[in-house]
Amino acid sequence: MASLLPDEFVQIESWAADWAQPTQNQRWDKRLSSTNVEITEFYHAILPWLERILAHADEFPLGKLPERSARLFDLALMHAEIAPNVELYRGDPNVPHSFEERRFIAVHGSDRH
Amino acid sequence: MNTLLDRRWAKTYPWLGESPVPTEPCVSPAIYQEEIDKVFKKVWLCMGRVEELPEAGSFKLKRLDFASTSALIIRGRDGVIRAFHNTCSHRGNTVVVPEGEWDNFGRKNGFTCRFHAWTYNDQGELTGIQEPQGLPLCFERSENGLTPIACDLWEGFMFINLDPHPSVGLTEFLGDIGRHFAGFPYHSLTHNFTYHTVLNCNWKIGVDAFAEAYHVTTIHAGSFPGTFSTGLQMVKLLGDHRTTAVCFDPPRSSPPVARLAQAKARGSLVNKVHETTLPPTMNDEKREDYAFELSVIFPNWLLHITEGIWFTHQFWPMGHDKCLWEGKYYVAPPQTNSERWALEHAMVLQRNAWLEDTATMEGTFYSLRSGAKPHMQLHDEEVLVRHGYHVLDKYLNKKDGK
Repeated sequence: MASLLPDEFVQIESWAADWAQPTQNQRWDKRLSSTNVEITEFYHAILPWLERILAHADEFPLGKLPERSARLFDLALMHAEIAPNVELYRGDPNVPHSFEERRFIAVHGSDRH
Repeated sequence: MNTLLDRRWAKTYPWLGESPVPTEPCVSPAIYQEEIDKVFKKVWLCMGRVEELPEAGSFKLKRLDFASTSALIIRGRDGVIRAFHNTCSHRGNTVVVPEGEWDNFGRKNGFTCRFHAWTYNDQGELTGIQEPQGLPLCFERSENGLTPIACDLWEGFMFINLDPHPSVGLTEFLGDIGRHFAGFPYHSLTHNFTYHTVLNCNWKIGVDAFAEAYHVTTIHAGSFPGTFSTGLQMVKLLGDHRTTAVCFDPPRSSPPVARLAQAKARGSLVNKVHETTLPPTMNDEKREDYAFELSVIFPNWLLHITEGIWFTHQFWPMGHDKCLWEGKYYVAPPQTNSERWALEHAMVLQRNAWLEDTATMEGTFYSLRSGAKPHMQLHDEEVLVRHGYHVLDKYLNKKDGK
């Protein structure tokens, strides 16, 4: 099978299929449908790579990423989606004490990236 | 908050009093109807930004269910932005049929009613009639354009007034708050995210929940831990409107992803930066802990600005027990992919904070409907909430809404 991510990111390749979500709505759904353990494992797996991912993304103009690099960038955006849950909410995949998340409508929710 | 215990705003604004505030306006259908008739159909209401209508024929359709209408706001070929009732001059049908529950945007050369194909141009003039020879001799095409709604601009924000003869113009209506917030680069901070939802509560419960910072240590213990410790500063009650500085000492340290995001782009309120583009009217005490300006522009719009960020909340009444909330957040457009990532993190954190804010609103309304508490007890830090009821009372007690 062809690799999903740029070659130098082979070590985090296994996360790409499930966690590289291209829209805000998909990232939000992925978080809400994940467990505490799943988002915490994902957070710690990607964190050491985050600066390298962003440096790679900045080799390309804004929004003009080739396919595998775009997928890698989606992984970083997914990481931003769950980071507050791990860093601030003790791994709770929901925002604690919040309004029903699925009733919030994101106007930009279906846009790519 | 031991610096806040001296009732300083009560002393600054003694005419507001310190009495408990009646809760009946939050639950009464009769008072709701008075608010619609004497406030929402009489005052200037913010409709959005001129950037939403980039070219001739660009339009925005905004549902105003409280007035059983929708505002059709169009940029004409002459560049002028006008607003109209979305109602055909022929039999009164809806001209632009809205799609979905929320604002519609688009661009058209002509606006055609699908009932009998009467057509209006981008200046609201009636330009097309099917088989016009069948109309009575007394029919005047020039008198049968779309019904205009008063529309004016302030700092690139579009406002309408549903009163056919507004008692004051927009500049006079905004008064000192218009001057206080003038000169900020709203137009260049265009990277936006917007959320909306329908809340099962009275619109004022929503406005009030955002009009104070007393809730921050409790409600935002999750998303903004250890921040916002110094409360309201420089409160200014300006006519029907009100504004304050929200100040805080920044958190001593941030976790790794938050720290990286803050280093990459200006997107989060928690990240303190040097002020260079704020109007000179802001932070006139030059406080080091100044974080952002929070204002309520009467009746339903909250505008906040800080260096490189502005954001708004707006609550649209849909009945005494229901309202539409819109939260909008604007920052400078990213220049690089890593900046774009950093803004995603800022957006997620802000969205989460709004999820925390909106969590109380329906519960408050549900409980107030019990009638168990005929009054609410307001803290000195809730002086903006108190002022809101003071202004509303002034409007409702006016004869014939003038």
